[in-house]
Amino acid sequence: MARKMLVDGELSQTNADEAHYDFDLFVIGAGSGGVRAARFSANYGAKVGICELPFHPISSEVIGGVGGTCVIRGCVPKKILVYGAAFGGEIEDARNYGWEVNENLDFNWKKLLHKKTDEIIRLNGIYKRLLSNAGVKLFEGEGKIVGPNEVEVTQLDGTKLSYSAKHILIATGSRAHRLPIPGQELAITSDEALSLEDLPKRAVVLGGGYIAVEFASIWRGLGATVDLFFRKELPLRGFDDEMRAVVARNLEGRGINLHPRTNLTELIKTDNGIKVVTDHGEELIADVVLFATGRVPNSKRLNLEAVGVELDKTGAVKVDEYSRTNIPSIWAVGDVTNRMNLTPVALMEGTCFAKTVFGGESSKPDYSNIPCAVFSIPPLSVVGLSEEQAIEQANGDVLVFTSTFNPMKNTISGRQEKTVMKLVIDAETDKVLGASMCGPDAPEIMQGIAVGLKCGATKAQFDSTVGIHPSAAEEFVTMRSVSRRITAGGKPKTNL
Amino acid sequence: MRQLPPPQINSTNTCLMGGPHPPAQGSQTSISYIYTKARDGDRKRTNMATTSFTAPKLSSPTLQTLYRNLPVSVPLPKTRSSFSRHLSPSISRFHHHHLHRHRLFSVRAESENGAEPPRHYDFDLFTIGAGSGGVRASRFAAKFGASVAVCELPFSTISSETTGGVGGTCVLRGCVPKKLMVYASKYSHEFDESNGFGWKYDAEPKHDWSTLMANKNAELQRLTGIYKNILNNAGVILIEGRGKIVDPHTVDVDGKLYTARHILISVGGRPFIPEITGSEYAIDSDAALDLPSKPEKVAIVGGGYIALEFAGIFNGLTSEVHIFIRQKKVLRGFDEEIRDFVGEQMSLRGIEFHTEESPQAIVKSADGSLSLKTNKGTVEGFSHIMFATGRRPNTKNLGLESVGVKMNKNGAIEVDEYSRTTVPSIWAVGDVTDRINLTPVALMEGGALAKTLFQNEPTKPDYRAVPSAVFSQPPIGQVGLTEEQAIKEYGDIDVYTANFRPLKATLSGLPDRVFMKLVVCAETNKVLGLHMCGEDSAEIVQGFAVAVKAGLTKADFDATVGVHPTSAEEFVTMRTPTRKIRQKPDSEGKTGLEAKAAAGV
Repeated sequence: MARKMLVDGELSQTNADEAHYDFDLFVIGAGSGGVRAARFSANYGAKVGICELPFHPISSEVIGGVGGTCVIRGCVPKKILVYGAAFGGEIEDARNYGWEVNENLDFNWKKLLHKKTDEIIRLNGIYKRLLSNAGVKLFEGEGKIVGPNEVEVTQLDGTKLSYSAKHILIATGSRAHRLPIPGQELAITSDEALSLEDLPKRAVVLGGGYIAVEFASIWRGLGATVDLFFRKELPLRGFDDEMRAVVARNLEGRGINLHPRTNLTELIKTDNGIKVVTDHGEELIADVVLFATGRVPNSKRLNLEAVGVELDKTGAVKVDEYSRTNIPSIWAVGDVTNRMNLTPVALMEGTCFAKTVFGGESSKPDYSNIPCAVFSIPPLSVVGLSEEQAIEQANGDVLVFTSTFNPMKNTISGRQEKTVMKLVIDAETDKVLGASMCGPDAPEIMQGIAVGLKCGATKAQFDSTVGIHPSAAEEFVTMRSVSRRITAGGKPKTNL
Repeated sequence: MRQLPPPQINSTNTCLMGGPHPPAQGSQTSISYIYTKARDGDRKRTNMATTSFTAPKLSSPTLQTLYRNLPVSVPLPKTRSSFSRHLSPSISRFHHHHLHRHRLFSVRAESENGAEPPRHYDFDLFTIGAGSGGVRASRFAAKFGASVAVCELPFSTISSETTGGVGGTCVLRGCVPKKLMVYASKYSHEFDESNGFGWKYDAEPKHDWSTLMANKNAELQRLTGIYKNILNNAGVILIEGRGKIVDPHTVDVDGKLYTARHILISVGGRPFIPEITGSEYAIDSDAALDLPSKPEKVAIVGGGYIALEFAGIFNGLTSEVHIFIRQKKVLRGFDEEIRDFVGEQMSLRGIEFHTEESPQAIVKSADGSLSLKTNKGTVEGFSHIMFATGRRPNTKNLGLESVGVKMNKNGAIEVDEYSRTTVPSIWAVGDVTDRINLTPVALMEGGALAKTLFQNEPTKPDYRAVPSAVFSQPPIGQVGLTEEQAIKEYGDIDVYTANFRPLKATLSGLPDRVFMKLVVCAETNKVLGLHMCGEDSAEIVQGFAVAVKAGLTKADFDATVGVHPTSAEEFVTMRTPTRKIRQKPDSEGKTGLEAKAAAGV
């Protein structure tokens, strides 16, 4: 295969220079961002090597796997479990539709787990093939940076390989973090939670982020008693406050016990299970305690200090707008940079990196209007600004349109759960600044809405779109009356 | 004050419906409407007149004075209840004593140029048919200050010349009951899926037909009630009965005459069964939505969306389903690849397709079962034979011919871009005009009409990029042009497709797949059409419809970050065209129409 050497877009570079390096690019970490950057760079004609730790569902310093967090310990297995758990509610709902289903349903956790593992092994294989089809050389082992243009890969048998590369890309991702409290070793993280031997009957989840609410939903859907502890008044800090309240209400509606403003202080092993002690002095017994208390960048064992790559105080690799570190030949994308920790964002960063470095086209990732989803049951999905952010950022008035409705399916199923949708508009420009939805299919619905927001669609353009009837999504194009107007610098006031 | 709504809406309405006499709140509602309108400051000169609903016309100078003297400059109260405190005792008394029997008023608006001779009408707008379009037009007209009445046939789940119901096809015999049945029927697929996710059922879940029907009908009753309330709250008078046009300004409802400045025909359409031998044994979609028991083996004649939706419903509710279509493929008019794909997926779920088979006769055998004779042979043993062979506008016996409202050969009312018929005071929206027969389109037409007539804002419905869905299983969502239409209109296009096994299917082990397609103009990069068949299609396409309607480009789609992991993200991550269609010989140095397969993923 003929390769063009488009390094930094400098086509005139001498052959002698090129011959100097084993690779044009060496990527450390074959997760979403690393694989994307490697493949696209190879497509631009670069000679690319990539290293990744051996495969295992549960990550550690020395195990990982091609595909990374998303495929092996994140998005994919999580979504599979959410699918599995959602059937619990579906089966309940089916009864009022005339279906006669046994009261005592049998759910086989081991079967689900086994099939989930099969699927991620399959995907792991697909990712490996993607790399080899793109002409990327894959090394199994732990990568370290030895110099600005030098990497060392420690293979499984301990042998070390050393390669020179014109560019090095750090894409090692992040790992779940444990809270340092007495008995913390009794707790698990999301890695283990995705691979538990047995389905817990009593689960305690600590954390208010998306991982916490997702696992709470999964276990509850599969029949466990779930207690969710978080520090704030509402879960999902950073999301629209109104939507946070909706999620909290829905989680409770589905039978999850919420403990706002509560921390865990100690875990104690007992014959009965793990005794969980809270800072309010409550005690309860659980089979499983999940710490969903954040993730930390995998930057420790890369030997970054030796070459002088700067980290921030959380351990994230510092990069500029083009994902370049302070060492010109070393770059970083994805969770290890702790910008916006989402798979599609890592993909975007990887793509921009390849374009910038090997595609002859300087390309910055654009972090505006990035949609995202929380796969709680029911899910939340948002794009653009929350109401609070909009008020803070807008120069003029902000209009808020909300719609709270009983989804048609619930009219017969009898499920008491409202879907809530929201549009936040700049009153002056009519631009839609933010959209949120909590309810069935929200993530699927939000993707198309995101295209509109990304391109600066106005409320008038939403209104001029005809609805798809009967759907939940049509509500986004039929919101006629404003719920409230927040005057510039003022407080929210309703005109209802 | 041109469009003055009748006071005491609630009471009038309730009386018409035979209910008890309501409390005085109703009058406050209507007063606030008058009030609103007064603030709007209509420039037109208004003559007041009273018209009794049930009694001969009678004028009341007192009332005219009273209404004219309403305190126009007082700020509008925020709520109706607060307004009640502002009501002067005289107004309350007035309502109580004087309006007790003759409570209906309307006003005549006189054009400023004086072209029309002054004439009194009972209503500014009289709507025949309280379905989606009629209710929307009536409500909005009332909101804009018009006095509005709407007539509708009595409620029944089966429509006929004498039965209908407030809510219309969508609520009673279409979208809503259909979707409820789709929900019910989807569970069997979900039970199958759940097996792959570790769920096990001791016994195969059984479906009890009567539970579903009872719950469905309870919901329809609730909805028809809600629709009545919506009309009521908007100040629209509802008259139960069959409306017929007598002259350009008069409607006859079961012998009573009502005059109106404008008449709106929104009577919708009804299923049509072609006359073949034994067609009396066939059922239509109305009946299919309200069968007393589960059809064991059902033949569905037709390849349109109604046929496919019912095939999915009955199949999911464990009936044996056969579809008979005249053509090779289902869903004429849809994108060809979608047509192929949905047919395949439905076959995989157990529906049997009989293509290029036209029904010729239905024979009932001694055991009560039905046989369908077609041009290719006879299939026996059906418990039900359903015809989904199109719908016809409900334009018979409306008096249209006599007043000169022109219809096309299918019986659809011909209207201009503003939904006006050949008679200037008569308008028509919704399925009766057979434009795009979708609820949201009827809503759009009704909304536009109300604006045109009563808000001084001539508004044309915009039929570009109207999205729609087929709630087959799997469902279809689409917006914009099909590939075939795009080639015809634009010549050079790029087509992006994705055909994949969704994450859920990899676990469930079922053969479900998803197909997605973007049709992009090669010259402008605009997304001309977007099509999807697979789970959640209807929900997914809505947001993209905003983008397509707004004329966004493929580059705009590509600039959008995906929501991971979803099916929908595929629409923003299609990088390589599946084929480039080029009409001009010189483009890309190739000749003629060419389809180029994409290299790799």
